[in-house]
Amino acid sequence: MPIIEVSKLGKDFSSGRVLVRALADVSFSVEEGRFVTLVGPSGCGKSTLLQILAGLIAATSGEVRIEGERICAPMPNKISMVFQDPTLLPWKTALANVEFPLDLRGVERTARRKRCSALLELVGLNEFANHYPHELSGGMRQRVAIARGLAPDPRLILMDEPFAALDEQTRTRMGHDLLDIWEKTGKTVFFITHSLAEAIYLSDFVLVMSPRPGRIIKTIAIDFPRPRELDIIGSEAFGRIRNRIWHLISESPA
Amino acid sequence: MRAALAGYLTIAIVLLGGWELTARLDLVDADLLPSLSQVCGILWQLLHDPRFIADLGLTASEVAVAFVIAAPLAISSGFLLGERLHLAEAFNPVVHFVLAVPQSIFLPVFILAFGIGFLEKILFGITHAYFVILVNSFAAVRSIPRPLVAAARVFGATRAQIYTRIYLPAMLPLILTGLRLGMVLCIIGVLLAEMYASRRGIGRLIFTWGEGYQVPELLAAIVLVSVLTIAVNEAMRLAELHLGRFYARASAV
Repeated sequence: MPIIEVSKLGKDFSSGRVLVRALADVSFSVEEGRFVTLVGPSGCGKSTLLQILAGLIAATSGEVRIEGERICAPMPNKISMVFQDPTLLPWKTALANVEFPLDLRGVERTARRKRCSALLELVGLNEFANHYPHELSGGMRQRVAIARGLAPDPRLILMDEPFAALDEQTRTRMGHDLLDIWEKTGKTVFFITHSLAEAIYLSDFVLVMSPRPGRIIKTIAIDFPRPRELDIIGSEAFGRIRNRIWHLISESPA
Repeated sequence: MRAALAGYLTIAIVLLGGWELTARLDLVDADLLPSLSQVCGILWQLLHDPRFIADLGLTASEVAVAFVIAAPLAISSGFLLGERLHLAEAFNPVVHFVLAVPQSIFLPVFILAFGIGFLEKILFGITHAYFVILVNSFAAVRSIPRPLVAAARVFGATRAQIYTRIYLPAMLPLILTGLRLGMVLCIIGVLLAEMYASRRGIGRLIFTWGEGYQVPELLAAIVLVSVLTIAVNEAMRLAELHLGRFYARASAV
Protein backbone atom coordinates (compact mmCIF):
# COMPACT_ATOMS: atom_id res chain seq x y z
CA MET A 1 0.00 0.00 0.00
CA PRO A 2 1.40 3.43 -0.91
CA ILE A 3 2.01 5.79 2.00
CA ILE A 4 0.48 8.74 0.15
CA GLU A 5 -2.51 8.34 -2.16
CA VAL A 6 -3.90 11.48 -3.72
CA SER A 7 -6.93 11.07 -5.93
CA LYS A 8 -8.76 13.67 -8.00
CA LEU A 9 -7.78 16.43 -5.62
CA GLY A 10 -9.11 19.91 -6.30
CA LYS A 11 -8.89 23.18 -4.39
CA ASP A 12 -10.62 26.46 -5.13
CA PHE A 13 -10.05 29.75 -3.36
CA SER A 14 -12.46 32.62 -3.54
CA SER A 15 -10.83 36.00 -3.31
CA GLY A 16 -13.64 38.51 -3.31
CA ARG A 17 -15.96 37.51 -6.16
CA VAL A 18 -13.23 35.80 -8.15
CA LEU A 19 -12.93 32.06 -7.87
CA VAL A 20 -9.33 30.89 -8.21
CA ARG A 21 -8.82 27.26 -9.13
CA ALA A 22 -5.55 26.42 -7.36
CA LEU A 23 -5.55 22.65 -7.93
CA ALA A 24 -7.55 20.50 -10.34
CA ASP A 25 -7.70 16.75 -10.66
CA VAL A 26 -4.37 16.06 -8.95
CA SER A 27 -3.70 12.33 -8.57
CA PHE A 28 -0.51 10.49 -7.63
CA SER A 29 0.83 8.07 -5.07
CA VAL A 30 4.11 7.70 -3.19
CA GLU A 31 5.56 4.41 -1.94
CA GLU A 32 6.96 4.15 1.56
CA GLY A 33 10.61 5.15 1.99
CA ARG A 34 10.83 7.13 -1.24
CA PHE A 35 12.20 10.59 -1.79
CA VAL A 36 9.72 12.33 -4.05
CA THR A 37 9.93 15.92 -5.20
CA LEU A 38 7.28 18.18 -6.64
CA VAL A 39 8.57 20.88 -8.99
CA GLY A 40 6.76 23.66 -10.73
CA PRO A 41 6.86 27.42 -11.26
CA SER A 42 6.03 29.79 -8.40
CA GLY A 43 2.32 30.07 -7.79
CA CYS A 44 1.41 26.76 -9.41
CA GLY A 45 -0.22 25.44 -6.25
CA LYS A 46 2.69 23.43 -4.80
CA SER A 47 2.39 24.89 -1.34
CA THR A 48 -1.39 24.54 -1.38
CA LEU A 49 -1.01 20.86 -2.18
CA LEU A 50 1.48 20.44 0.65
CA GLN A 51 -0.79 22.20 3.13
CA ILE A 52 -3.58 19.80 2.19
CA LEU A 53 -1.21 16.84 2.66
CA ALA A 54 -0.31 18.24 6.09
CA GLY A 55 -3.97 18.47 7.05
CA LEU A 56 -3.68 22.23 7.55
CA ILE A 57 -6.30 23.13 4.93
CA ALA A 58 -9.17 21.13 3.45
CA ALA A 59 -9.49 20.19 -0.21
CA THR A 60 -12.51 21.30 -2.23
CA SER A 61 -12.83 17.93 -3.94
CA GLY A 62 -11.09 14.58 -4.06
CA GLU A 63 -9.20 13.03 -1.18
CA VAL A 64 -5.79 12.31 0.34
CA ARG A 65 -5.08 9.07 2.16
CA ILE A 66 -2.01 8.58 4.33
CA GLU A 67 -1.40 4.87 4.97
CA GLY A 68 -5.00 4.35 3.95
CA GLU A 69 -6.37 6.86 6.44
CA ARG A 70 -8.22 9.77 4.94
CA ILE A 71 -6.68 13.05 6.05
CA CYS A 72 -8.78 15.94 7.31
CA ALA A 73 -6.61 17.28 10.15
CA PRO A 74 -2.90 17.18 11.04
CA MET A 75 -1.62 13.67 11.88
CA PRO A 76 1.24 14.44 14.25
CA ASN A 77 2.13 10.79 14.76
CA LYS A 78 2.53 10.11 11.05
CA ILE A 79 3.29 13.37 9.30
CA SER A 80 5.92 15.98 10.07
CA MET A 81 6.76 19.11 8.19
CA VAL A 82 9.73 21.38 7.51
CA PHE A 83 8.59 24.82 6.41
CA GLN A 84 10.15 27.37 4.11
CA ASP A 85 10.80 29.56 7.16
CA PRO A 86 12.42 27.57 9.96
CA THR A 87 9.42 28.55 12.19
CA LEU A 88 11.48 27.97 15.33
CA LEU A 89 10.22 29.44 18.58
CA PRO A 90 12.55 32.40 19.19
CA TRP A 91 12.28 32.09 22.97
CA LYS A 92 13.45 28.47 23.03
CA THR A 93 16.96 27.06 22.52
CA ALA A 94 17.81 24.82 19.55
CA LEU A 95 17.41 21.72 21.71
CA ALA A 96 14.12 22.90 23.22
CA ASN A 97 12.84 23.61 19.71
CA VAL A 98 13.65 20.06 18.63
CA GLU A 99 11.90 18.81 21.76
CA PHE A 100 8.81 20.93 21.09
CA PRO A 101 6.72 18.26 19.27
CA LEU A 102 7.47 15.71 22.01
CA ASP A 103 6.85 18.31 24.70
CA LEU A 104 3.39 18.92 23.19
CA ARG A 105 2.45 15.28 23.60
CA GLY A 106 3.82 15.06 27.11
CA VAL A 107 6.90 12.89 26.55
CA GLU A 108 8.90 12.79 29.75
CA ARG A 109 11.80 15.24 29.95
CA THR A 110 14.85 12.97 30.13
CA ALA A 111 13.54 10.66 27.40
CA ARG A 112 12.86 13.51 25.00
CA ARG A 113 16.14 15.23 25.84
CA LYS A 114 18.07 12.05 25.04
CA ARG A 115 16.28 11.49 21.75
CA CYS A 116 16.51 15.12 20.67
CA SER A 117 20.21 15.48 21.53
CA ALA A 118 20.85 12.52 19.25
CA LEU A 119 18.83 14.21 16.49
CA LEU A 120 20.79 17.43 16.87
CA GLU A 121 23.92 15.35 16.48
CA LEU A 122 22.47 13.75 13.34
CA VAL A 123 22.03 17.19 11.76
CA GLY A 124 25.50 18.22 12.97
CA LEU A 125 24.46 20.76 15.58
CA ASN A 126 25.18 19.05 18.90
CA GLU A 127 27.50 21.92 19.88
CA PHE A 128 24.71 24.44 19.38
CA ALA A 129 22.08 22.79 21.58
CA ASN A 130 21.86 25.76 23.94
CA HIS A 131 21.92 28.49 21.31
CA TYR A 132 18.81 30.52 20.53
CA PRO A 133 17.57 30.69 16.93
CA HIS A 134 18.76 34.28 16.42
CA GLU A 135 22.27 33.14 17.29
CA LEU A 136 22.27 30.57 14.46
CA SER A 137 22.80 31.02 10.73
CA GLY A 138 19.95 30.43 8.26
CA GLY A 139 21.29 26.99 7.36
CA MET A 140 21.66 26.01 11.02
CA ARG A 141 18.09 27.07 11.76
CA GLN A 142 16.84 24.87 8.94
CA ARG A 143 18.91 21.98 10.35
CA VAL A 144 17.19 22.50 13.70
CA ALA A 145 13.84 22.48 11.86
CA ILE A 146 14.78 19.18 10.19
CA ALA A 147 15.75 17.66 13.53
CA ARG A 148 12.44 18.90 14.96
CA GLY A 149 10.64 17.29 12.03
CA LEU A 150 12.28 13.98 12.86
CA ALA A 151 11.59 14.20 16.60
CA PRO A 152 8.09 12.64 16.59
CA ASP A 153 9.48 9.74 14.52
CA PRO A 154 6.96 10.32 11.71
CA ARG A 155 6.39 8.05 8.71
CA LEU A 156 6.35 10.94 6.29
CA ILE A 157 8.16 14.27 6.23
CA LEU A 158 6.79 17.10 4.09
CA MET A 159 9.30 19.75 3.09
CA ASP A 160 8.13 23.06 1.64
CA GLU A 161 11.08 24.64 -0.21
CA PRO A 162 13.16 24.34 2.95
CA PHE A 163 16.38 25.58 1.35
CA ALA A 164 14.91 28.36 -0.80
CA ALA A 165 16.17 31.16 1.42
CA LEU A 166 19.75 29.83 1.64
CA ASP A 167 22.74 30.78 -0.49
CA GLU A 168 23.77 28.42 -3.29
CA GLN A 169 26.64 26.73 -1.46
CA THR A 170 24.77 26.21 1.79
CA ARG A 171 21.81 24.95 -0.20
CA THR A 172 23.87 22.33 -2.06
CA ARG A 173 25.51 21.22 1.16
CA MET A 174 22.14 20.99 2.94
CA GLY A 175 20.73 18.84 0.13
CA HIS A 176 23.68 16.49 0.36
CA ASP A 177 23.32 16.20 4.14
CA LEU A 178 19.57 15.74 3.84
CA LEU A 179 20.13 12.70 1.61
CA ASP A 180 22.50 11.34 4.22
CA ILE A 181 19.88 11.81 6.96
CA TRP A 182 17.18 10.29 4.75
CA GLU A 183 19.29 7.21 4.10
CA LYS A 184 20.01 6.81 7.82
CA THR A 185 16.41 7.25 8.95
CA GLY A 186 14.50 5.62 6.08
CA LYS A 187 11.66 8.15 6.20
CA THR A 188 9.43 8.94 3.25
CA VAL A 189 10.17 12.49 2.10
CA PHE A 190 7.83 14.61 0.01
CA PHE A 191 9.79 17.68 -1.03
CA ILE A 192 8.82 20.86 -2.84
CA THR A 193 11.25 23.05 -4.74
CA HIS A 194 11.47 25.18 -7.84
CA SER A 195 15.12 24.28 -8.35
CA LEU A 196 15.26 21.50 -10.96
CA ALA A 197 18.83 20.56 -10.06
CA GLU A 198 17.88 20.16 -6.41
CA ALA A 199 14.86 18.05 -7.36
CA ILE A 200 16.80 15.70 -9.65
CA TYR A 201 19.77 15.35 -7.32
CA LEU A 202 17.62 14.46 -4.30
CA SER A 203 14.77 12.39 -5.67
CA ASP A 204 13.64 8.94 -6.69
CA PHE A 205 10.75 10.54 -8.54
CA VAL A 206 10.08 14.06 -9.71
CA LEU A 207 6.47 15.15 -10.11
CA VAL A 208 6.16 18.03 -12.57
CA MET A 209 3.36 20.47 -11.92
CA SER A 210 1.90 23.15 -14.17
CA PRO A 211 -0.07 26.18 -13.03
CA ARG A 212 -3.62 27.54 -13.30
CA PRO A 213 -5.03 25.19 -12.35
CA GLY A 214 -2.23 23.27 -10.65
CA ARG A 215 -2.03 19.71 -11.93
CA ILE A 216 0.63 17.00 -12.27
CA ILE A 217 1.67 16.81 -15.91
CA LYS A 218 4.42 14.20 -15.65
CA THR A 219 6.13 11.84 -13.21
CA ILE A 220 9.79 11.23 -13.96
CA ALA A 221 11.82 8.42 -12.35
CA ILE A 222 15.40 9.41 -11.47
CA ASP A 223 17.66 6.36 -11.68
CA PHE A 224 21.02 7.62 -10.50
CA PRO A 225 22.44 5.06 -8.08
CA ARG A 226 22.65 5.93 -4.40
CA PRO A 227 24.45 7.13 -2.40
CA ARG A 228 24.78 10.02 -4.80
CA GLU A 229 27.73 12.34 -5.07
CA LEU A 230 27.41 16.01 -6.00
CA ASP A 231 29.43 15.31 -9.18
CA ILE A 232 26.38 13.84 -10.91
CA ILE A 233 24.90 17.33 -11.19
CA GLY A 234 27.45 18.10 -13.93
CA SER A 235 26.91 14.85 -15.86
CA GLU A 236 25.35 14.60 -19.29
CA ALA A 237 22.53 12.32 -18.12
CA PHE A 238 21.65 14.86 -15.41
CA GLY A 239 21.56 17.67 -17.97
CA ARG A 240 19.25 15.65 -20.23
CA ILE A 241 16.71 15.11 -17.46
CA ARG A 242 16.88 18.74 -16.46
CA ASN A 243 16.21 19.85 -20.05
CA ARG A 244 13.33 17.47 -20.33
CA ILE A 245 11.67 18.84 -17.19
CA TRP A 246 12.44 22.37 -18.25
CA HIS A 247 10.62 21.82 -21.54
CA LEU A 248 7.66 20.26 -19.76
CA ILE A 249 7.33 23.29 -17.51
CA SER A 250 8.01 25.98 -20.09
CA GLU A 251 5.72 24.47 -22.73
CA SER A 252 2.76 24.25 -20.41
CA PRO A 253 0.64 27.40 -20.58
CA ALA A 254 1.87 29.76 -17.87
CA MET B 1 22.73 49.48 29.79
CA ARG B 2 25.70 50.97 31.62
CA ALA B 3 25.69 54.01 29.33
CA ALA B 4 21.97 54.48 30.02
CA LEU B 5 22.59 54.29 33.77
CA ALA B 6 25.38 56.86 33.52
CA GLY B 7 23.02 59.07 31.50
CA TYR B 8 20.28 58.87 34.14
CA LEU B 9 22.76 59.66 36.90
CA THR B 10 24.16 62.66 35.03
CA ILE B 11 20.71 64.08 34.41
CA ALA B 12 19.70 63.51 38.03
CA ILE B 13 22.86 65.15 39.38
CA VAL B 14 22.59 68.16 37.06
CA LEU B 15 18.88 68.70 37.82
CA LEU B 16 19.05 68.16 41.57
CA GLY B 17 22.41 69.92 41.94
CA GLY B 18 21.10 72.84 39.89
CA TRP B 19 18.02 73.00 42.12
CA GLU B 20 20.05 73.02 45.33
CA LEU B 21 22.48 75.65 43.97
CA THR B 22 19.74 77.93 42.67
CA ALA B 23 18.06 77.85 46.07
CA ARG B 24 21.28 78.29 48.06
CA LEU B 25 22.48 81.20 45.96
CA ASP B 26 19.07 82.89 46.37
CA LEU B 27 18.61 83.16 42.62
CA VAL B 28 14.89 82.51 43.07
CA ASP B 29 12.57 83.67 45.84
CA ALA B 30 13.05 81.20 48.70
CA ASP B 31 9.29 80.99 49.24
CA LEU B 32 8.85 79.80 45.67
CA LEU B 33 11.82 77.45 45.54
CA PRO B 34 13.00 76.03 48.85
CA SER B 35 16.26 74.11 48.69
CA LEU B 36 16.34 70.44 47.84
CA SER B 37 17.69 69.61 51.27
CA GLN B 38 14.79 71.42 52.93
CA VAL B 39 12.29 69.59 50.71
CA CYS B 40 13.95 66.28 51.53
CA GLY B 41 13.66 67.10 55.21
CA ILE B 42 9.92 67.78 54.80
CA LEU B 43 9.54 64.59 52.79
CA TRP B 44 11.21 62.66 55.60
CA GLN B 45 8.73 64.11 58.10
CA LEU B 46 5.80 63.40 55.80
CA LEU B 47 6.86 59.78 55.46
CA HIS B 48 6.59 59.50 59.25
CA ASP B 49 3.18 61.13 59.32
CA PRO B 50 0.46 58.44 59.52
CA ARG B 51 -2.13 60.72 57.88
CA PHE B 52 0.12 61.35 54.90
CA ILE B 53 0.88 57.63 54.61
CA ALA B 54 -2.86 56.93 54.71
CA ASP B 55 -3.43 59.37 51.83
CA LEU B 56 -0.57 57.83 49.89
CA GLY B 57 -1.93 54.34 50.57
CA LEU B 58 -5.40 55.36 49.46
CA THR B 59 -4.12 56.70 46.15
CA ALA B 60 -1.93 53.64 45.64
CA SER B 61 -4.87 51.33 46.33
CA GLU B 62 -7.10 53.27 43.92
CA VAL B 63 -4.44 52.92 41.24
CA ALA B 64 -3.94 49.24 42.04
CA VAL B 65 -7.65 48.37 42.02
CA ALA B 66 -8.24 50.31 38.79
CA PHE B 67 -5.27 48.64 37.13
CA VAL B 68 -6.16 45.15 38.30
CA ILE B 69 -9.66 45.58 36.87
CA ALA B 70 -8.60 47.36 33.66
CA ALA B 71 -5.69 45.12 32.66
CA PRO B 72 -7.44 41.72 32.26
CA LEU B 73 -10.51 43.37 30.69
CA ALA B 74 -8.40 45.29 28.21
CA ILE B 75 -6.11 42.36 27.37
CA SER B 76 -9.04 40.05 26.74
CA SER B 77 -10.96 42.56 24.65
CA GLY B 78 -7.84 43.29 22.59
CA PHE B 79 -7.34 39.57 22.17
CA LEU B 80 -10.95 39.10 21.05
CA LEU B 81 -10.68 41.91 18.48
CA GLY B 82 -7.36 40.48 17.24
CA GLU B 83 -8.86 37.04 16.77
CA ARG B 84 -12.19 38.20 15.31
CA LEU B 85 -11.34 40.71 12.64
CA HIS B 86 -14.95 41.48 11.75
CA LEU B 87 -15.37 42.71 15.33
CA ALA B 88 -12.16 44.71 14.99
CA GLU B 89 -13.52 46.43 11.87
CA ALA B 90 -16.51 47.59 13.87
CA PHE B 91 -14.76 48.54 17.10
CA ASN B 92 -11.32 49.81 16.10
CA PRO B 93 -12.61 53.22 14.91
CA VAL B 94 -14.39 53.65 18.26
CA VAL B 95 -11.18 52.81 20.12
CA HIS B 96 -9.17 55.24 18.03
CA PHE B 97 -11.71 58.04 18.52
CA VAL B 98 -11.65 57.49 22.26
CA LEU B 99 -7.85 57.54 22.27
CA ALA B 100 -7.85 60.79 20.30
CA VAL B 101 -10.05 62.71 22.76
CA PRO B 102 -8.41 63.93 25.99
CA GLN B 103 -10.24 61.95 28.63
CA SER B 104 -9.79 64.63 31.27
CA ILE B 105 -12.69 66.58 29.74
CA PHE B 106 -15.04 63.78 30.83
CA LEU B 107 -14.10 64.09 34.50
CA PRO B 108 -17.02 66.39 35.38
CA VAL B 109 -19.36 63.88 33.76
CA PHE B 110 -17.86 61.08 35.84
CA ILE B 111 -18.36 63.14 38.99
CA LEU B 112 -21.98 63.87 38.09
CA ALA B 113 -22.60 60.20 37.42
CA PHE B 114 -20.63 58.56 40.22
CA GLY B 115 -20.10 61.30 42.81
CA ILE B 116 -16.67 61.92 44.34
CA GLY B 117 -15.13 58.95 46.02
CA PHE B 118 -13.38 55.65 45.58
CA LEU B 119 -15.67 54.41 42.79
CA GLU B 120 -15.39 57.52 40.63
CA LYS B 121 -11.60 57.56 40.91
CA ILE B 122 -11.28 53.89 40.10
CA LEU B 123 -13.55 54.23 37.09
CA PHE B 124 -11.58 57.21 35.86
CA GLY B 125 -8.34 55.22 36.29
CA ILE B 126 -9.86 52.24 34.48
CA THR B 127 -10.99 54.23 31.45
CA HIS B 128 -7.56 55.84 31.25
CA ALA B 129 -5.72 52.51 31.28
CA TYR B 130 -8.20 50.39 29.33
CA PHE B 131 -7.85 51.67 25.77
CA VAL B 132 -4.09 51.83 25.52
CA ILE B 133 -3.76 48.28 26.92
CA LEU B 134 -6.45 47.12 24.50
CA VAL B 135 -4.67 48.60 21.48
CA ASN B 136 -1.40 46.92 22.48
CA SER B 137 -3.10 43.60 23.15
CA PHE B 138 -4.74 43.78 19.70
CA ALA B 139 -1.35 44.52 18.10
CA ALA B 140 0.16 41.64 20.09
CA VAL B 141 -2.31 39.14 18.65
CA ARG B 142 -1.78 40.43 15.13
CA SER B 143 2.01 40.20 15.61
CA ILE B 144 2.01 36.43 16.14
CA PRO B 145 3.75 34.87 13.13
CA ARG B 146 1.09 32.66 11.51
CA PRO B 147 3.69 30.07 10.31
CA LEU B 148 4.55 29.37 13.97
CA VAL B 149 0.92 28.49 14.58
CA ALA B 150 0.82 26.28 11.46
CA ALA B 151 3.97 24.48 12.64
CA ALA B 152 2.50 23.90 16.10
CA ARG B 153 -0.69 22.51 14.52
CA VAL B 154 1.28 20.09 12.34
CA PHE B 155 3.05 18.86 15.46
CA GLY B 156 -0.30 18.16 17.09
CA ALA B 157 -0.74 21.16 19.37
CA THR B 158 -4.23 21.43 20.80
CA ARG B 159 -6.01 24.79 20.76
CA ALA B 160 -5.11 25.30 24.42
CA GLN B 161 -1.47 24.47 23.71
CA ILE B 162 -1.38 26.93 20.81
CA TYR B 163 -2.62 29.64 23.17
CA THR B 164 -0.24 28.82 26.02
CA ARG B 165 2.86 27.79 24.05
CA ILE B 166 2.72 30.15 21.05
CA TYR B 167 0.30 33.01 21.66
CA LEU B 168 1.26 33.82 25.23
CA PRO B 169 5.05 34.03 24.82
CA ALA B 170 4.73 35.70 21.42
CA MET B 171 2.32 38.33 22.76
CA LEU B 172 4.11 38.99 26.03
CA PRO B 173 6.46 41.82 24.96
CA LEU B 174 3.70 43.95 23.43
CA ILE B 175 1.30 43.14 26.28
CA LEU B 176 3.92 44.35 28.75
CA THR B 177 4.37 47.57 26.77
CA GLY B 178 0.61 48.07 26.94
CA LEU B 179 0.55 47.37 30.68
CA ARG B 180 3.36 49.83 31.31
CA LEU B 181 1.67 52.62 29.34
CA GLY B 182 -1.65 51.65 30.93
CA MET B 183 -0.15 51.95 34.40
CA VAL B 184 1.17 55.44 33.64
CA LEU B 185 -2.25 56.54 32.36
CA CYS B 186 -3.99 54.86 35.28
CA ILE B 187 -1.91 56.90 37.73
CA ILE B 188 -2.64 60.06 35.72
CA GLY B 189 -6.37 59.31 35.79
CA VAL B 190 -6.54 58.69 39.52
CA LEU B 191 -4.39 61.72 40.43
CA LEU B 192 -6.37 63.93 38.10
CA ALA B 193 -9.62 62.83 39.69
CA GLU B 194 -8.18 63.43 43.16
CA MET B 195 -6.87 66.87 42.28
CA TYR B 196 -10.08 67.98 40.64
CA ALA B 197 -12.45 66.96 43.39
CA SER B 198 -11.67 64.77 46.34
CA ARG B 199 -11.47 64.75 50.10
CA ARG B 200 -8.44 62.52 50.44
CA GLY B 201 -5.50 61.09 48.53
CA ILE B 202 -2.10 62.33 47.43
CA GLY B 203 -3.56 64.22 44.47
CA ARG B 204 -5.82 66.14 46.83
CA LEU B 205 -2.84 67.00 49.07
CA ILE B 206 -0.81 68.25 46.14
CA PHE B 207 -3.68 70.45 45.04
CA THR B 208 -4.34 71.79 48.54
CA TRP B 209 -0.67 72.53 49.21
CA GLY B 210 -0.46 74.35 45.90
CA GLU B 211 -3.55 76.40 46.70
CA GLY B 212 -2.25 77.12 50.21
CA TYR B 213 1.20 78.18 48.98
CA GLN B 214 2.86 75.44 51.05
CA VAL B 215 5.69 75.07 48.60
CA PRO B 216 8.04 72.74 50.54
CA GLU B 217 5.24 70.22 51.16
CA LEU B 218 4.05 70.58 47.56
CA LEU B 219 7.52 69.90 46.17
CA ALA B 220 8.09 67.02 48.59
CA ALA B 221 4.91 65.32 47.35
CA ILE B 222 5.83 65.99 43.73
CA VAL B 223 9.29 64.49 44.25
CA LEU B 224 7.83 61.45 45.98
CA VAL B 225 5.18 60.77 43.30
CA SER B 226 7.75 61.28 40.55
CA VAL B 227 10.20 58.87 42.15
CA LEU B 228 7.49 56.25 42.72
CA THR B 229 6.07 56.43 39.18
CA ILE B 230 9.53 56.37 37.61
CA ALA B 231 10.35 53.30 39.73
CA VAL B 232 7.15 51.49 38.64
CA ASN B 233 7.72 52.44 35.00
CA GLU B 234 11.36 51.35 35.01
CA ALA B 235 10.59 48.05 36.73
CA MET B 236 7.99 47.26 34.06
CA ARG B 237 10.30 48.41 31.29
CA LEU B 238 13.09 46.13 32.56
CA ALA B 239 10.71 43.15 32.56
CA GLU B 240 9.69 44.12 29.02
CA LEU B 241 13.30 44.35 27.81
CA HIS B 242 14.21 41.09 29.45
CA LEU B 243 11.28 39.18 27.94
CA GLY B 244 11.45 40.96 24.62
CA ARG B 245 15.10 40.09 24.04
CA PHE B 246 14.52 36.76 22.35
CA TYR B 247 11.56 38.07 20.49
CA ALA B 248 13.24 41.10 19.00
CA ARG B 249 14.56 39.12 16.06
CA ALA B 250 11.53 36.86 15.77
CA SER B 251 10.56 38.14 12.34
CA ALA B 252 13.96 37.06 11.05
CA VAL B 253 13.64 33.56 12.48
